[in-house]
Amino acid sequence: MKRNLGNLYAGPMILWLTVFFTVPLLIIVGFSFLRKGLYGGVEWQASLDAWKAVGTPNLVAVTVKTFVVSMVATVITLALALPTGYRMARSKRQVLLLLLVIVPFWTNFLLRVFAWMVILGNNGFVNDILLRTGLVKSSLRLLNTQGAVLLVLVYVYLPYAILPLFSTIDKFDFTLLEAARDLGASKLQAIVRVLLPNIKGGIFAAFLFTFIPIFGAYAVPLLVGDMNSYMLGNFIADQLTKARNLPFTASLSLLVTFVTTIGILILMRLQAAPERSAEADAAIAADYAAANGNGGR
Amino acid sequence: MKRFSHIAGIAALALALASSSCQGKAPAPTGGGTAKEEPKKLYIFNWTYYTPDSVIEKFEKEFGVDVVYDVFDSNETMYSKLEAGGAGYDIVFPSADYVTIMAKQGMLQGIDKARLANWKNVDPGLVAKAVYDPGCEYSVPYYMGASGVAVNRKAVGTYDKSWSVFARKDLKGKMCMLDDMREVLGDALKFKGMSVNETDPAKVKAAADLVAKEWKPNLLKFDAEAFGKSFAQGEVVVAQGYAEVIFAELEETRWGEVDFFIPKEGGPLYIDSMVLLKGSKNVDLAYKFMDFIHRPEIYAEFCDYFRFPATANVPARGLLKTTPHYTVDQLGNCELKLDLGEDLAIYNQVWQDIKVGK
Repeated sequence: MKRNLGNLYAGPMILWLTVFFTVPLLIIVGFSFLRKGLYGGVEWQASLDAWKAVGTPNLVAVTVKTFVVSMVATVITLALALPTGYRMARSKRQVLLLLLVIVPFWTNFLLRVFAWMVILGNNGFVNDILLRTGLVKSSLRLLNTQGAVLLVLVYVYLPYAILPLFSTIDKFDFTLLEAARDLGASKLQAIVRVLLPNIKGGIFAAFLFTFIPIFGAYAVPLLVGDMNSYMLGNFIADQLTKARNLPFTASLSLLVTFVTTIGILILMRLQAAPERSAEADAAIAADYAAANGNGGR
Repeated sequence: MKRFSHIAGIAALALALASSSCQGKAPAPTGGGTAKEEPKKLYIFNWTYYTPDSVIEKFEKEFGVDVVYDVFDSNETMYSKLEAGGAGYDIVFPSADYVTIMAKQGMLQGIDKARLANWKNVDPGLVAKAVYDPGCEYSVPYYMGASGVAVNRKAVGTYDKSWSVFARKDLKGKMCMLDDMREVLGDALKFKGMSVNETDPAKVKAAADLVAKEWKPNLLKFDAEAFGKSFAQGEVVVAQGYAEVIFAELEETRWGEVDFFIPKEGGPLYIDSMVLLKGSKNVDLAYKFMDFIHRPEIYAEFCDYFRFPATANVPARGLLKTTPHYTVDQLGNCELKLDLGEDLAIYNQVWQDIKVGK
């Protein structure tokens, strides 16, 4: 009885996901195997053109560049988020700090990007200060650079990294760090060999929460980037709006979805790991094999 | 503290969802269609900011009706919305090539000129140019214009009123062109003395090479979204773009700093039209609206608002109270962009090469 009721409760959720996620995704799969219509739609004719176009040199070049940019932005984001999350978890004013992390989201994402354009512009806030203090003679080009793209990406996605890291570090038993010190580990060793292995789920979640949206970034490179900031998201958007190639847009989007799904599957295995058998755990945590001996599990 | 950890996790998820939905442009407002048969409502689907509110209000007042004014930001958006059946509109404002496409697809009603008393005001020269719809069988011309080049006089000094301005190395990193392949490649084709509708792959390739080797290295970006802002804020001192967008971003006191010109070689010309959809429930009122637009004083009011030359309406030219940003004569060397059908793929390929920049 109880079990049946449980299924019933899941009903609305399943219906919702089917109608608004599974079905649209299947439509995209279907479109990717059709011929491109002349004026933006599709012809009802089976075709592999959209999948063949995936291997073109232009696309490979854009994908590689997007991957590198996303990786760099994600690593910077994590490097900033890790100490922040740690400090928040150890703070007595967690609620206030959490609120401060969330406050930027009270303003629309695009508005915040436009704000950065005002800050970084040739006649913007930063250049104004630099000119007034005499540090530079003429405006520096800060906006429309690759650096501006990285800066704004890191700014936008930092909270996504801080929140899961905070949540994991908060659950960490800090007495383990003291124990490690007592057993002769240096401060750094205690952090690297005890803290990090124990919060690896949070680190990976933070990685995915930042890497995935940055990999699909569209507005940020478009608005604060320059000639060379063309990313995969912009490429896909151009295929849809300029080349009117719906099947190619579909196959590209599916590729990105596929890569993303793999990442999420790995995350789910990592997070499920503590409740699994030791060997399954060990397989996933191969990288941390050396550290596992010290882990407090 | 466990409780807060959960909150943090949920918040992160919610934020991830919220931001992914903010990534694209805001969707065009819906709500055109499905009202019941209310005779006193006219549904218009138009470009963002393309008919001044004052004009709409005057029409509403005079005829005692309500105008529902929905907007789109590209022909593609407009077309896909209509094709998906999200119609219910009476009048739509497509650009030239989309008139052809929509007429071919059987989406339009023929225009009965006898019902437009002000058809006599429409420039016959423009109608002759309207090869996309010979004799304007399905469309009433609304406006003809072209993108041009805005130059910040203070920063640039002397310059030639030609597309060659983008080849100037001394302005490297301070210029931008539209992120629009038909516009930029069309300019390059015109610069080389070819047609903006060229379909010979070798010729298009030659134009693309000019863009890639001579122009692109000096550009800050290809931008069709924020070029007006970038120009106003001084990120760029030379911008290819639309006059109305450039000047909308500048306070009127600064207009003197700007020279806007249509390069002497000419470029792609656009004509936007009013068309009557097949499913229109307010045909009568729709004719009244199109006729209203071509009243000389109303057309002049529209042009004054944007500082447009009165390209589509001849008597309105004498009624303008403002000096337009460019003149009808300057458009002389421009050539109408036509629908290229399958050949669009040629442009798409070279444009992709330019943007990826191998």
